[in-house]
Amino acid sequence: MTPEYYLVLAAVLFTIGAVGVLIRRNAIVVFMCVELMLNAANLTLVTFARINGSLDGQIMAFFVMVVAAAEVVVGLAIIMSIFRSRRSASVDDANLLKY
Amino acid sequence: MTVTDVLVCALGAVSLGAAIRVVTTNQIVRAGLWLVVALGALAGVYLVLTAELLAWVQVLIYVGAVVVLMLFAVMLTRAPIGRSDDLDRPRLPAILVGGGAGLGLAAVLADAYRWSYIGLSGVEPGNAEALGREVFTGWALPFEVLSVLLLAALVGAIAISRPEVGERREES
Amino acid sequence: MNDIQLPPIDYAALLPMLIVFGLACVGILAEAFVPRKHRFAVQATLTLAALIAGLVTVIINRDLEVTTIGGAVTIDGAGLFLQGIILVLGIVAFGLIAERRLERGGAFVANAAHAADSDGDKKQLNEAGATEIFPLTLFAIAGMMLFCVSGDLLTMFVALEVFSLPLYLMCGLARRRRLLSQESALKYFLLGAFASAFFLYGVALIYGYAGSVQLVAIKQSVLDSDKSGVLLAAGLALLAIGLLFKAAAVPFHVWTPDVYQGAPTPITALMAACVKAAAFGGLLRVFNVAFETTSWDWRPVITAVAMATMIVGSILAVTQTDIKRLLAYSSIANAGYLLVGVVSLGGAVGSSMFYLVAYGFSVLAAFGMVTLVRDADGEATHLSRWAGLGKGSPLFSAMFTIIMLGFAGIPLTSGFSSKFALFSSAWDANQSALVIVGVLSSVVLAFPYLKVVVLLWLNPPGDETPTVSVPGYLTRAVVGVGVLATIVLGVAPSWLLDMVNSAGTFLAK
Repeated sequence: MTPEYYLVLAAVLFTIGAVGVLIRRNAIVVFMCVELMLNAANLTLVTFARINGSLDGQIMAFFVMVVAAAEVVVGLAIIMSIFRSRRSASVDDANLLKY
Repeated sequence: MTVTDVLVCALGAVSLGAAIRVVTTNQIVRAGLWLVVALGALAGVYLVLTAELLAWVQVLIYVGAVVVLMLFAVMLTRAPIGRSDDLDRPRLPAILVGGGAGLGLAAVLADAYRWSYIGLSGVEPGNAEALGREVFTGWALPFEVLSVLLLAALVGAIAISRPEVGERREES
Repeated sequence: MNDIQLPPIDYAALLPMLIVFGLACVGILAEAFVPRKHRFAVQATLTLAALIAGLVTVIINRDLEVTTIGGAVTIDGAGLFLQGIILVLGIVAFGLIAERRLERGGAFVANAAHAADSDGDKKQLNEAGATEIFPLTLFAIAGMMLFCVSGDLLTMFVALEVFSLPLYLMCGLARRRRLLSQESALKYFLLGAFASAFFLYGVALIYGYAGSVQLVAIKQSVLDSDKSGVLLAAGLALLAIGLLFKAAAVPFHVWTPDVYQGAPTPITALMAACVKAAAFGGLLRVFNVAFETTSWDWRPVITAVAMATMIVGSILAVTQTDIKRLLAYSSIANAGYLLVGVVSLGGAVGSSMFYLVAYGFSVLAAFGMVTLVRDADGEATHLSRWAGLGKGSPLFSAMFTIIMLGFAGIPLTSGFSSKFALFSSAWDANQSALVIVGVLSSVVLAFPYLKVVVLLWLNPPGDETPTVSVPGYLTRAVVGVGVLATIVLGVAPSWLLDMVNSAGTFLAK
């Protein structure tokens, strides 16, 4: 296998996710972009695990998935509560706090 | 180009295309569905990398749980299901900065691993038994702490979004 | 099948964390089984007991130096001292979190899911606040303790999430100004998740470079790896973004003022004191253990970040009109001073820890006093409303003046002794440019503090000057301890300086 392909794929995915976080306004979509970034990191970990010939990277990717699940729970709970008090999930509508 | 390379290029193209759709589509529900495609293709890449268990967990946790949860959130927040035009901030600066940094990163990685080739043989496939043994020999502490993390996230999420438990008790 | 060998575990070394984690889980059980009217007392007792027991075991362990449980945890002098700082500051912050006399039911809302200003929301104004806050606080503090002693980057990532997730949630649980509070939770969460994705990608790249995520192994492979150094630099940069975000350094500080302002004040105090200690504990450990030998590569960058943080923090603090935002920008500037300690590496570990103690006590007292100035709508945080408070409440104003003078770095306060210790050890490490910028920016930063002092004493009280509530015994204790520590560490700092210097540094083998 050629590791280059995997690593570049991961880097481009990470970039797409990061740019997405910066340009999207809906909190749920922003959060989807964060998931893309986490997945890119996972792919990098697994690829390096393959290159290094050890399973450590796979285990780390496994742990990251669990962390991501916990993050989703917390994130969606916060988004739901903010929606209930204001009826909108747009990040920019949340602007009582000024930049 | 070997068979694995062709597979990875195909799966990678699917994943990247879907990821771009997640970031650009105007419909929130579609963004969620494109996310399923992107993450599903990644599960395929994991299989090519001989990470069996991880591929299945990817499908179970991400496609099965995370994305479904997000779609529920989309429905519960009554976000506009159809097209909505106000999803974007001004794009150009973010694209320039982020894209520049990302392409630089890709170049670094490509440069570091140019011309290297890794054979398929001699690597233990990441099946459940191998990963399980590894978790409990080298990674016991983070594993245990993860269970605490899940508990904390669960309790916290209930605390912030719980409906009026007290009032219901008073009524009954 | 039975060939799985657990790695050797030194339970004594893990005991402080096990106690706090364990009692947090007990707290959750108590939440489920203890009747509602006793719940607050049980939870508060449990939390305090956990923190004190943790502190006692940390003190018992004080001479321990061991790497255990497969290298995931490294207990060493500096790590134990940082754990001790987090626990002591956590105990003090607990006083603010458990306070229920200032406002009926405490600073936290009972059912956060009520739409703001709906009938249900108005009805719950006098209900007792949610008691889940106590186990969540314990989880956060245990996560911070683990963060400071992590021996590998993955454990560090997990610990980072363990203390972040409860904090995100607790930010959204304020009783008053609910919209502001939920917004701060959302903002903190989204930016925090963004930053932790960067941290993780950095971990992945470093794993690729070093073949391991153990800090000690990274150090070794930095010395003898033949892989591209650019890979390491990229990984380190991404890793640093994640850490600097938690430390609130410029340009990753944009969340700080909003979150500090919107979160319930006791949680803001917890973040300003304990999270700062944990974040810098992690930064110090990563840079001192894993990347000390590559300091030529990262020093210029972190130096630039430190300078930017000091300058931006102090200049923006001048323009603030809200006391919580002012304290937020001051905490950004203080992050800059602490980064000076990070750049100075080994020699400055002790004085950085001294700074964390001194700053932590002062900032807890400051936020404790912010909770006291109230009107009908809760805390009155706008600075214009603080004008002339000195006339009606001289004791309060005198204590706030002491804290402000401490922040401004006036001699005989902890602000002076801690800045002096930090800058002199940075000077010894040949960081003269940073020291000069630090001193200049702290002169600028003195201005907003002194402005508050002038406002308190010399301005005439307005028509709507809020009252200073009579504090309950918990807040009284917090403010008293904070003010006392500010004076004691200013007048007689030598015992604590001896203690941090004898605590030793990070174990790098």
